[in-house]
Amino acid sequence: MMTTSTLPIAVKSAPSRSWQVMDWLVRRPSSFTLLLIVLVCGVVGAINPTFYSVANLFDILRASVVLGLFALGVLVVLAAGGLDVSFAAIAALVMYSLTKAVVQFWPDAPLALILLAGAGGGMLLGALNGLLVHTLSAPSLIVTIGTQYVFRGFLLTFIGTELFMNVPPAMDAFGKATLLTLNTASGGQTQLPAFVLVLAAAAILTWWLLERTLMGRAVFAMGGSLNIAERLGYNLRTVHVFVFAYAGMLAGVAGLMHVAANRLANPFDLSGIELDVIAAVVLGGARITGGRGTVAGTLLGVLLVALINNVLILAGVPSTWQKAVIGAFIVLAGAVFAIRRRG
Amino acid sequence: MIRKAVWGGAALACVVGSSALYAQSESTIVTVVKVTGETWFKRMEEGVKEFDSNTPSIAASQTGPAKADAAQQQRLIEDLVAKKVTAIAVVPMDPSSLEGVFKRAMDRGIKVITHEADTQKNTLADIEAFDNKAFGARLNERMAKCMGESGKWTSFVGSLGSLTHVQWADGGAENAKKYSNMTLVDAKNESFNDANNAYQKAKEILRKHPDIKGFQGGSAIDVIGIGRAVEEAGLQDKTCVVGLGLPQDSGKYLESGAVDGIGFWDPKDAGIVMNKVAQLVVEGKPITDGMNLGVKGYEKVSVKKGAGAGVIITGEAWVDVDKSNYKQYPF
Repeated sequence: MMTTSTLPIAVKSAPSRSWQVMDWLVRRPSSFTLLLIVLVCGVVGAINPTFYSVANLFDILRASVVLGLFALGVLVVLAAGGLDVSFAAIAALVMYSLTKAVVQFWPDAPLALILLAGAGGGMLLGALNGLLVHTLSAPSLIVTIGTQYVFRGFLLTFIGTELFMNVPPAMDAFGKATLLTLNTASGGQTQLPAFVLVLAAAAILTWWLLERTLMGRAVFAMGGSLNIAERLGYNLRTVHVFVFAYAGMLAGVAGLMHVAANRLANPFDLSGIELDVIAAVVLGGARITGGRGTVAGTLLGVLLVALINNVLILAGVPSTWQKAVIGAFIVLAGAVFAIRRRG
Repeated sequence: MIRKAVWGGAALACVVGSSALYAQSESTIVTVVKVTGETWFKRMEEGVKEFDSNTPSIAASQTGPAKADAAQQQRLIEDLVAKKVTAIAVVPMDPSSLEGVFKRAMDRGIKVITHEADTQKNTLADIEAFDNKAFGARLNERMAKCMGESGKWTSFVGSLGSLTHVQWADGGAENAKKYSNMTLVDAKNESFNDANNAYQKAKEILRKHPDIKGFQGGSAIDVIGIGRAVEEAGLQDKTCVVGLGLPQDSGKYLESGAVDGIGFWDPKDAGIVMNKVAQLVVEGKPITDGMNLGVKGYEKVSVKKGAGAGVIITGEAWVDVDKSNYKQYPF
């Protein structure tokens, strides 16, 4: 997608070597993300060699799953020129009410059914976002800020507020399922959880949707220019509902992954993750104003954010400074992205 | 005509009666917690309700923001100030950010009582279940005994802005200085009250210090997250996890040995005590050192001058719980 949507102007006037490098970077913003990842790894690895361990890799992958599912949803909304900040609230509402319902009414429900219900529930809530954005023709950021409070409020008022530890056995088993178990040097064990496959599947599905379907074209067209997309004959209502429903669906699944991984359901969880997710998508090269973005770039962005969140202790950054370091990193990377686009 | 008069009289009696009833329950004490619905504050609400039903002259209730957010809590308190309740009993999210609204409340004649905020200036009385440093030291002492008084250990806090959590961590660090073989590493990790964050941080620490022996938790869910990390690493028998925790929520990890002990104070008692103190202040009665507030752990409270004009009331209301006795506490 990146290659087709970038103007070929730079190519004509690029005789020198540095220009070629610049051109390559401009055409592939995600290469810059990759560069940052390598840089962080290099620095942290130099400070603390235990960084280079399989256990660490597994932990970062584990931390990427929920973040990544959210990010893929945000990518699709962002590509269509919108912004969704209600995904964490959708995830919290879906994960908590579904887990509670399963525990109360059908404790032995099979995992596939729970996942399907989670995806469906998230999709419905997302579709509601899409309908509101379209009918009110209001900025999606404002609409989703509103629905976010509605979802959270509904959850705490009508569903429940208590944390519970006895999650359904099917989810518990899924959270514990491992692809790979290795022994660490200290005599402990480290596992690669099976639920990373869910992120892989979602990534492939999202890539296929954006790059190989008519809907994908419509999404990018709408993100490029609403008016032009309309004149091209795309049904904006359908596209709006689709992108938000898709983001909602991934959020629902992400919520269930959170419960399965954590083995507890806490309705207060997942708040504050919104900015991490949006940062990941933007650091992955998607344009915040829409029309641009790739699945590969987004995954790199997710990896970068998960990486930073998981190495600051290893790097010896005192906890009082950790937030500041994360913030500085985002500002720095964001600035480089902005400068590069102008250049 | 006569009938009309009778009806009129009855109606009048009704009005007089109801206003008399209204006057009786005119004092309203509202307890404002950090976040509504958390198990901890639900238990506190039980105390508030008990106080309410035992004290007919006062209408006591509890409220709190849906999200653990200092700004939302402040807005709630501003509403209560506008409504002009008799007294507010607040468990502040961030004491310093509430100074302004507390001052406005007191200027309007509203009595302000706080809990878990011994640095608060604009309060008439701050209630501490125990001395925070002493509680931190006690948690640390239990952890130290468990880890044989030697080895690396670390501490967790809900957030660095949560004063009590920081005091527990500091009190723990102070206590550990007694043992020359204990080393504090990467102290005060923030979990942001999310078990998953505590889990991820604990994993990172286990990676950086594979030989770590002790974890001292801060937020009530810290031990759950740390416990899971310890359990997954198969280190139940090699590490000692002790921290604030709730018996029901931590039970699973107490059973498996991933969490070795929890400590807490009963939020129900704290809720009753906050309201009792508010009642004393409203009735203009003095609060004296060594007085009995009629609740277990608060039978002989210490009263000191606080950061502002108010006092700090400290009890000795901690409860030590481990695998053997956690089932006695139904919350």
